[in-house]
Amino acid sequence: MGRGLCRRVWAHRHFYVFISPFFILFGVFGLYPLVFSFYLSFTQWDGLTEVTWVGLGNFRNLVHDELFLASLWNTLVIGVLYIPPMFLGAFVFALALNTGWLKLRGIFRAAFFMPCVTPMVVVAIVFSLIYSEDSGLLNYALGKVGEIFPPLRIEPIAWLTSDRWFKPAVALLLVWRWTGYNMVLMLAGLQGISTEYYEAARIDGAGVFQRMWHITLPLMRPVFVFCAIMSLIGTVYMFDEIFVMTQGGLGGPGVSGINFGLYLFNTSFADFKFGYASSMAYTLSFFVFLASLLILRLRKSET
Amino acid sequence: MFLCFDRLRCWVWAVLVVTLGVCLWAWGEPLVLDPPTAPGDLDADIEVWAWNIAAGSLEHLTPMFNEIYPRCRVRVNMNGTNVQSRFLLSLAAGVGAPDVMQLQVRETPRYSMTGKLTDLTEVAKKYEHDFPPSFWQDCMHDGRVYGIPWDIGPGGIFYKRSIFEACGVDPESIVTWDDYVSAGVTIMKKSGGKTKMLCLPRGMLVELFEPLLQQSGGQIFDKEGRLAINSKESLQVLRVMRRMLEMGIGANINFWTHEFLASLKSRAVATYVAGAWFGGTIRDDAPTTSGDWGVIRLPEIEPGGLRTSNFGGSTLVIPDQCKNKEAAWRFIEFALCTKEAQIEQFRAFELYPALLSTHSDPFFDEPEPFYGGQKTRRQFSLDIDKIPTMYRTSNWVETERYINQTFSRWVNDRMKDPEGMLAQLEEKLSRRLGCGISPGSLSLGGRD
Repeated sequence: MGRGLCRRVWAHRHFYVFISPFFILFGVFGLYPLVFSFYLSFTQWDGLTEVTWVGLGNFRNLVHDELFLASLWNTLVIGVLYIPPMFLGAFVFALALNTGWLKLRGIFRAAFFMPCVTPMVVVAIVFSLIYSEDSGLLNYALGKVGEIFPPLRIEPIAWLTSDRWFKPAVALLLVWRWTGYNMVLMLAGLQGISTEYYEAARIDGAGVFQRMWHITLPLMRPVFVFCAIMSLIGTVYMFDEIFVMTQGGLGGPGVSGINFGLYLFNTSFADFKFGYASSMAYTLSFFVFLASLLILRLRKSET
Repeated sequence: MFLCFDRLRCWVWAVLVVTLGVCLWAWGEPLVLDPPTAPGDLDADIEVWAWNIAAGSLEHLTPMFNEIYPRCRVRVNMNGTNVQSRFLLSLAAGVGAPDVMQLQVRETPRYSMTGKLTDLTEVAKKYEHDFPPSFWQDCMHDGRVYGIPWDIGPGGIFYKRSIFEACGVDPESIVTWDDYVSAGVTIMKKSGGKTKMLCLPRGMLVELFEPLLQQSGGQIFDKEGRLAINSKESLQVLRVMRRMLEMGIGANINFWTHEFLASLKSRAVATYVAGAWFGGTIRDDAPTTSGDWGVIRLPEIEPGGLRTSNFGGSTLVIPDQCKNKEAAWRFIEFALCTKEAQIEQFRAFELYPALLSTHSDPFFDEPEPFYGGQKTRRQFSLDIDKIPTMYRTSNWVETERYINQTFSRWVNDRMKDPEGMLAQLEEKLSRRLGCGISPGSLSLGGRD
């Protein structure tokens, strides 16, 4: 059997040569790092001195690592804070853009999509001007409101350096940044729904909400699932937003400002603990894998 | 096949064996020049990695260097982004590192400990007493020398003369940190709350804590690498910082942000606690403010205490994989250990020289128009040799970040119980880093 396979491969070797570039590149840049970092997750390595095998030691340390646990908790909280409003916003905007009467649709679409193609450095500068405690736009506006309605007067808020406000501030930034992206996905989904369903429903006397509930939402489910998985993965590995808003984890509100992506980055590329970082990444990707599986299962059981 | 396989294999083996031999012979050997090559005969390419003004400064030196070593070709590579990670990668891979590398003072020890830098002890130890001891210590590991201090950051307070005059504060009256806080309160009051005294970002407190701790002679680790942060010196520094925070004189502006650089030109912030190199930043980012600046010596923590500290700087090292170590060393020696080269770099690029013999140069006593005629160079050089040594470890960066996070949580928690916070910080750090606690620590009774 094995010989037969080899012979068949040899017989068709020219075709294999043609498809080999992908596999070679994938092997070097995809598979090798995956396997190597899996191996590293059982070792201690600073990138320079020898690799030391520690077995499950890294994973044991993870359980007791307060920063790791805090980073997971922060990741979760940020996800909960930003994903629902982002989904709602994206869906509402997608519906609006999908209506027939709206003019200048292209401009709106481009405007909503703009934030997620804007370089993060630019975003960081703009948002640091908005969120600054002493001279930020947001605190200035809140201060003005307080001047006009004295009962609403509040102290300036340290948006990016206080435990309480950091996560909402970041969530706001995330909603602003990713709503457009999800909106475009949902818009594509909406446009994929045949108008015949709506016509039939209208003839049967279904109102706006009934049409929404019985046609739009069920048919959009695959798009929602896709967006949910992408957002889940995006939340877990979110990095640049947090990195720039906390100056690489130095300027944020201490422990409550680190998320998983930032902690992973700092552990590997600032502290040079590649083994420990790998074990962290593998642990989490295992859970992300489980969660994605769960979302897909849920979807399957419903249909 | 035209090429004989056997012969090819022989060649491959030969090359491998020779390479291995060369590697083994070259690995970890301290650099010895026996006998040294004559300057005119030294023939090599030297690649240097450095960042911003430092790179420009080395480039500026190259013609001077070539007058003595005409056959050495120096190429300065100024590649700012991620330079530390790329350096690490090249060290790990064994190829691709430059011949001469610039490192931050506080990151030098972690590289020295890897054994991937050239041991310079034999050639460099004669210069030991030409540099301030605390800066020299940062280039040492296990009694061996791995780098040479380049520019250093003796600390001071940069202030805007116009603001001090308008608020009627005499800069000379600031002697202790308490005076500094009171002056800050006055300025806040007189400006109607618009002008804060300093930038004190709640999430970056370690940036101020560390130099002040060094000023007071405290340590984060002791000489043996055990944690020693729970000390009366740390508490003194925390007391100073707490007063600043309580009186509300610190603007919550993160360092090096757009907003921070903009504050140089506005009236939002009156002073900056920084190293001598900060003058270069002001000149670059706020050239129009020339003449409005002055420098006060760092206020003392204890009566009669030291009025300077170490606010960072950089070093030059030679990676072990460098092919022409002699040439690389000659370049470092020329750039950092000769008075002319260091003075030239100071003159042209404001890199405050670590080399002590430069400090007697008349250049230090010239009045500086940028500082309204003040002689800041001389002022910064005072007591530089008295700055206490700080013992740094390989996990320094991680430690700093952890301290930072703990402090900002403490501030968010209304700065309650600094003693308890420090004790807990030390204990958690010791578990995290797997290192012991110094017998001098207050946690263990503070036997000192």
